Amino acid sequence: MKSVIERLTLQSRCETELINITDTVRQFVARSGVQNGVVFVMSMHTTTGITVNEGLPDLEADIAAMLERLVPENQPYRHARWLHSDGQMAINAPSHLRGALLGFQVYFPIENGEMVTGARQTVYFVELDGPQHRHYVLQALGQ
Amino acid sequence: MITELIEADPTLAHSVREVFGLLFPPQPLQTFLLELDAAGVDCAVLLPLDCTSAHGCRVVTNEQVAALVSQHPRFIGFASADPNLPDAVPTLRAAVRDLGLCGLHLDPALQRFQLNSRDRAYPLYEAACDLDIPVLVDCGMSWAPLGQTALAHPLALEQVIQDLPGLRLIIAGFAWPWFNEALLLALKHQNVYLDTSIVYSGTPADALRHVLASQIGLSVLERNLPQQVLFGSDYPRADIRRSVRGLRSLGLSPALEAAVLGGNALAVLPALRPALSAANPLAEPHIEAAQ
Repeated sequence: MKSVIERLTLQSRCETELINITDTVRQFVARSGVQNGVVFVMSMHTTTGITVNEGLPDLEADIAAMLERLVPENQPYRHARWLHSDGQMAINAPSHLRGALLGFQVYFPIENGEMVTGARQTVYFVELDGPQHRHYVLQALGQ
Repeated sequence: MITELIEADPTLAHSVREVFGLLFPPQPLQTFLLELDAAGVDCAVLLPLDCTSAHGCRVVTNEQVAALVSQHPRFIGFASADPNLPDAVPTLRAAVRDLGLCGLHLDPALQRFQLNSRDRAYPLYEAACDLDIPVLVDCGMSWAPLGQTALAHPLALEQVIQDLPGLRLIIAGFAWPWFNEALLLALKHQNVYLDTSIVYSGTPADALRHVLASQIGLSVLERNLPQQVLFGSDYPRADIRRSVRGLRSLGLSPALEAAVLGGNALAVLPALRPALSAANPLAEPHIEAAQ
């Protein structure tokens, strides 16, 4: 079995932002040389998400609005305190909780060297505490 | 902390972690600029810190701040000088004259000096008066692991204020937990300013609401200090976006909110005006202090 991993970065520009990484994942699959298997997409952060949806700006706005509605900014979250491990205040509980709703990884089959997706499926790296310089991992696993 | 500074200065990572106590990974300068955009902040005041005598390091140098200011018109740079070193005053004068820095940043808890020391602190205050620059003092709780908060009590500044009426003095974070003492100094002296970088528990909205609304009372600020409260976030201890939102959530009158978010800073720091014009010529001023 073959395993190919790439670590990638991106710069988000807004506090909540859906960033289309579909082409990046497709190109990685082609580069990997894996013909049949799976490709995993994983964020390296806990205040981001990875999700799949139709690639339309109105849906992107609706998803962002839904996350803000489901996890409001002003609630008495416990995660609003000094974080000794960072040396700064942990005041981003909504970002963590929105990430928990979305999840941090997705996968797609690889067939005949290509990523298998629905025609309207778009892969998003979702920034939930931006702007930040972010890292994510792609892994192609198979033959 | 900014990645480019860490990469260019191998000693900086150690001092940021071990002395300043910031363990969160550095971010590229572009990210910081985008953070300002996302927060709606036009100009940021950059604060270096010289802890040479206390800890053998500088947590960002005057030269590094000056370099950032020269690259980006939305930055304003303050200077740092170590009060315990004999060359403190010449260092400050050179930073203002040669590097174009336009304020003095003091952190008594971390720099380990007495705020009312005639030998160590007064020469810097007098130089600041002579140079016509404001002095920002980190008062109250120091989150730095090596900071000694007892050195940062705002009442130690009372004699200084009386002796040097021309000094423009900014007390950071309302000197929490000694906000009543900081408040009395500002109530009594028009050349004392208080910034809103209050960080102790909860979100910035929580902390500001507790201290400014519940404890002090917004009417006290509206009536007495409409020109003496400045916005500050204590970045990188708290993010700038949520600090701005916290300030805006207080329910200040529109006039006071606008003053806190920029107008008052322009009065205490005239050097902001050209930076603000360059950064955003049409906008209402909105200014941030960052370390």
